[in-house]
Amino acid sequence: MSFRRPPRDEHTMKVGFVGRGGSPGVSRQVTVDVPAGDLTPWDLDTKFKTVGGRTDRLDAVAKVTGRAKYAEDMRPAGMLYGVLVRATIPDGRLEGLDLDAVRGMPGVRAAIPLKDLGNRVRWVGDPVAAIAADTLDQAYDALARVKAEYTEGDAPIDFRDHENAPALRDGVVDEPWPSQDAAKIEQALADCERTAEGTWICEVQTHSSLEPHGLVAHFQEDDSLEVWASTQAVFGVQSGLARAMGLQPAKVRVHAEFVGGGFGSKFGPDAEGVAAARLSKETGRPVRVLLSRFEEHTCAGNRPSAIMRIRAGVDADGKITAWDYQSWGGPGYAGRGGGTRGVPQWTHAAVTRNSQSDLATATDAGRSMRAPGWPQGNFATEGMLEALASEAGMDSLAFRLLNDPDPLRQMEWRIGAERFGWADRVNPTPGKPREGDAPRILRGAGLAAAFWGQMGRPGNGATCRIHQDGTVEARSGAQDIGTGMKTLMAMLTAEELGIEVAAVKVTMGDSNDPVGPGSGGSTTTPSLAPTVRHAAGLAARQLCERVADALGVAPEKVTYRDGGIDADGKRLSFREACRHVGPNPIEATGQRQRNYEGYAEHICGCQFAEVEVDTHTGVVRVTKMLAVQDCGLVLNEKLAESQVIGAMIQGLSYALHEQRVMDREVGRMLNGDFLHYKVAGPADMPELEAIMQPVANGMNNVGAAGLGEAPAVAAPAAIANAVANALGVPVRHLPITPDKVLAALAKRR
Amino acid sequence: MNAFELSLPDTLADAARKAGPNSAFKAAGIDLIDRLKERIDDPETVVDLLRLRDELGGIQATANGAVRLGALTTLQELADATALDAPGFGALREACGEAATPQVRARATLGGNLLQKNRCWYYRSNAFSCAHDGSGDRCLAWHGENKFHALFGTVDCVRVHPSNAAPALVALGAEVEIRGADADSSRRIPIRALYPQSPAARAPEHVLADEEILVAVHLPASAAAGRSAYRESREKLSFDWATTAAAAHLVVEGGKIARASVCLGAVAPNPWPLDDVAERITGQTPSRELFADAARRAFRRAQPLRHNAYKVEVGQAILVDALAAAAGLED
Repeated sequence: MSFRRPPRDEHTMKVGFVGRGGSPGVSRQVTVDVPAGDLTPWDLDTKFKTVGGRTDRLDAVAKVTGRAKYAEDMRPAGMLYGVLVRATIPDGRLEGLDLDAVRGMPGVRAAIPLKDLGNRVRWVGDPVAAIAADTLDQAYDALARVKAEYTEGDAPIDFRDHENAPALRDGVVDEPWPSQDAAKIEQALADCERTAEGTWICEVQTHSSLEPHGLVAHFQEDDSLEVWASTQAVFGVQSGLARAMGLQPAKVRVHAEFVGGGFGSKFGPDAEGVAAARLSKETGRPVRVLLSRFEEHTCAGNRPSAIMRIRAGVDADGKITAWDYQSWGGPGYAGRGGGTRGVPQWTHAAVTRNSQSDLATATDAGRSMRAPGWPQGNFATEGMLEALASEAGMDSLAFRLLNDPDPLRQMEWRIGAERFGWADRVNPTPGKPREGDAPRILRGAGLAAAFWGQMGRPGNGATCRIHQDGTVEARSGAQDIGTGMKTLMAMLTAEELGIEVAAVKVTMGDSNDPVGPGSGGSTTTPSLAPTVRHAAGLAARQLCERVADALGVAPEKVTYRDGGIDADGKRLSFREACRHVGPNPIEATGQRQRNYEGYAEHICGCQFAEVEVDTHTGVVRVTKMLAVQDCGLVLNEKLAESQVIGAMIQGLSYALHEQRVMDREVGRMLNGDFLHYKVAGPADMPELEAIMQPVANGMNNVGAAGLGEAPAVAAPAAIANAVANALGVPVRHLPITPDKVLAALAKRR
Repeated sequence: MNAFELSLPDTLADAARKAGPNSAFKAAGIDLIDRLKERIDDPETVVDLLRLRDELGGIQATANGAVRLGALTTLQELADATALDAPGFGALREACGEAATPQVRARATLGGNLLQKNRCWYYRSNAFSCAHDGSGDRCLAWHGENKFHALFGTVDCVRVHPSNAAPALVALGAEVEIRGADADSSRRIPIRALYPQSPAARAPEHVLADEEILVAVHLPASAAAGRSAYRESREKLSFDWATTAAAAHLVVEGGKIARASVCLGAVAPNPWPLDDVAERITGQTPSRELFADAARRAFRRAQPLRHNAYKVEVGQAILVDALAAAAGLED
């Protein structure tokens, strides 16, 4: 029995990690207050039966066979198709809107304005009105007939054209450093043995979720609303729609059983969800509004562009002692949210200064995207580390080992370097072909650090039900956005109850179940996992109580152990015990406590990349990537590797291919499809490997951190550094396309 | 897409009869369906040719060594065709085998590949006015975003011809067989003549009349001789368009180039034959230096736009690669 009976209990546990590959582990005893009712936290000495294994994703077969039904698949009887009328100019005011001509068109059931006359238009795509019709084609026919009139403003389309944008000369910021707080940093730089300076630029990346944003809404006669949404936040959609429609949240039922990608862009109903609900209320029929691919690229957020410049220096030993970082973000019409950051641990011993400003444009607003601001900032930061290593005459890896204060990442660098074959893959003579290669081919290797926080929160619930036939249900209203959370819930429940994973049925994505977190900031697993385990523990206790009752044994003589019950000397298997449950299942709702003091409040990780550059065509191919990544307790090694590899692939695509191309005159995206917007495909994949490093962090009864962001921080930087190692000259502008590679080579010559 | 009548003819004659000024022929539909969905085209009738495999399919080698390729032959069938085993046909097999993705190659037809529309991102969106489709009077790409646009042969529109197969077929001296409104109006023309002589903005991308159907492509027996090669450069390996492409066919005899034919792709509104390059290298001993010199001269006439100057360097490299491969020079 793992319950702590006293109201609060001091519990001592061992946190840290076991040494590996010749590197030392780190562990220490921490004593924490475990509040009444919480389970004993798992720690470094815990032996697991299920957790940490390689259980297949529970819904894998349903997904690959098409049986899994997404919001996009929902077609309730009588459903109408809704489309949004969107502004065709980037900046100005709406001066006229005529929907009358539309209302009489074949199949059209409703046409409602979404923007008042005189209001600002902020980008090509700003919602102006919404139309519902019997078929999608009828809706588009109507959309083409809407007459909207505008007065036009002249806001910039590209953030480089903003009046406050820094002057750029040949891609380098050409203006003085800020005078604010200058004295200390100037002195620190002057004291450095060697310094370096540079400018890095990133273009806009779109989320490119395969399932579009939107939902199917059904407004019912009793003033309740039922929706099937593609979302990362079931309860965000619920509260957002409740607010927009003037309903109590309990009147809004949200389903999101499967979600086809979000990456940070799907936290609320957004304009399309509210439009669907309003159109449904107006027509009394279910209405579906799911964005087109062009709208996905232009109206659903993006990773903002950035200009970053750094000047930094090292002391005589090669330690970083000064770090001056300035960045400009391009977050679109929102005008904020374009901040960038690199892994902060590099500058722990340095005098630092940070300045950041955002440059608004008449384009779609940026949204959080997988480690918002970090892949950009880390591209610049790691690029600067390369410049400093080169100034200090040090190998890239040796420079990292010298400056990285974190013992966990120290071990990860070493494990990764050995497995990757760093010493053999790094080009000792950058810009010159490796032995055995054709003279036109340059190869090189690069590396970069990963980093993220552990941001799980209390305030969520999860239900565990035990039925008399021995089946167990684990339920949470939160969504599984593809990370495998359902599988983790089954594993956690099975582990706590000591039963097989197959005996647990998991339901997620229904707002009638207990509240769960939105899936952002790598918080779903650390928020939900302890809650799910707690629910299973409470259910086990109730099972003991029912068995005690049924057998007439004193409750204190009944204990739960190893997937069965000891009742006053008698042993019952789990199924035998369940026969005493009766027709009403056991139902327990778990909670999560505030974080305990654990091993560390952040996670580490590092990545290595090898590239091959054809110097005649400028084409870069990534040939090998390897990640070493920790995330606290690794709940499922296979799913964790999958998550890391997914981030590496997305990072590769960002580093080499993805870029929103805008026509600066018209203000409209030119490559708003998957023909011209280039996302890396199967043939572009390198050899990919992820090594998971378990850590007992002790921060809650499970101790698992989230894994969505950290690996996304490292990948683009590692690839860019590999390109620089190959070419002998860096390309400091993502994506690294052939034109930029050829220009860099020409400059070197 | 707009509503249209779908016509499913049983014979070629029937298909030609169904066609008219407001119709579109459909083979696999790889390009056409996209254009319909984007409402770039809105034909009243779509005439589906896909069922006419008897008349439009098949690969036949004749006794004299010439090969007839039915217009409905898929790119993958061409890439794998044993009738095209001779090294002289290599460029066509390579061009078809590299296109797009395995899924597209399994469906896309030779005829569709030759007659597809350009991928200019201004033309492909109804929201932009465009000189080519007549919605505007000037080419927005010319002074706008033109990273993937033309270096050569432009009049007042900087689109590029996107076909992989076309440059290879030009290099191989292929002819296309075209059937008109009735059976006796069939004609055979060199593939170069399939494309407009002056590719002005308003010129259609091929010369076929509304009711004319591309029936087959004929490779002459002379194409089987020697060796040909196709090379292209693109940003991604999966599902991307070439930024530049080159096909070269060389017959080397006694250490000298006896016959040469060269064509670039993705650099001009039409496939871009390089007859002067062919002439210059004929009679010479093949070498990388010779080819590099020829490539430099060929691209001297390039007229780069603001964002596509890199294509000059890439194009030269790809041309040298194609020539070297066709000459059998080691990499």
